Amino acid sequence: MTAEQPSTEIGHDEFDPRGTLALILVYFAILVGLWVFMYFVEFLGNGLTVMG
Amino acid sequence: MNIHSYEKIWLVLATLLIVGLISTVTYGATAVGVEMVSDSGGTINASALDEDPRFSEPRVEQVGDNEYAAYVVAQQFIFKPDPITVPANSTVTFYVTSPDVIHGFEIVGTNANAMVVPGEVTELTVEMNEPGEYGILCNEYCGNGHHVMEGKLIVQPESEFQGGETDG
Repeated sequence: MTAEQPSTEIGHDEFDPRGTLALILVYFAILVGLWVFMYFVEFLGNGLTVMG
Repeated sequence: MNIHSYEKIWLVLATLLIVGLISTVTYGATAVGVEMVSDSGGTINASALDEDPRFSEPRVEQVGDNEYAAYVVAQQFIFKPDPITVPANSTVTFYVTSPDVIHGFEIVGTNANAMVVPGEVTELTVEMNEPGEYGILCNEYCGNGHHVMEGKLIVQPESEFQGGETDG
């Protein structure tokens, strides 16, 4: 019925999910950027500073 | 164990993220000097604020060179005094207490934000910067007028600041 499909087997280290890696790096950059904005701009940069 | 090289990248980045988060908070606490509000204000008889020299007449008082104390009563549904007037570029310690229920004391848009508990004095030391106006609001539900409970903090230029008295 169905013809034999040609198959290729690759090892553990030969499979490189570049798209996933790129997505994760973008997510990481957003995370770092938001943290810097939230802590340094919004928390430390907004007017009064609580000293105790 | 066989770890894929991409997985190693992610492990390293995730570790860096944790180190980064901890070190920014450490930087804020040491270099900038941001502190948490503690229970250093002590306790008070909530039903006898009238007899307490600090709160019988809520006010702003000069206590040192460029240091001020603001005695504030948060009650249903106002802050006294209103407005609270302080000079710019000074250190102000707020002592806030409540005669009735739990209130909040939040200087809007800043990280000065504390709970006001009857029977306790909330002590909050704040560095004032430039002149300006801030809203103060109650962020703990305190009754049917909670949504209108607000005050004002006026940071005046040092040259315009008249003593420590404000209208109660």
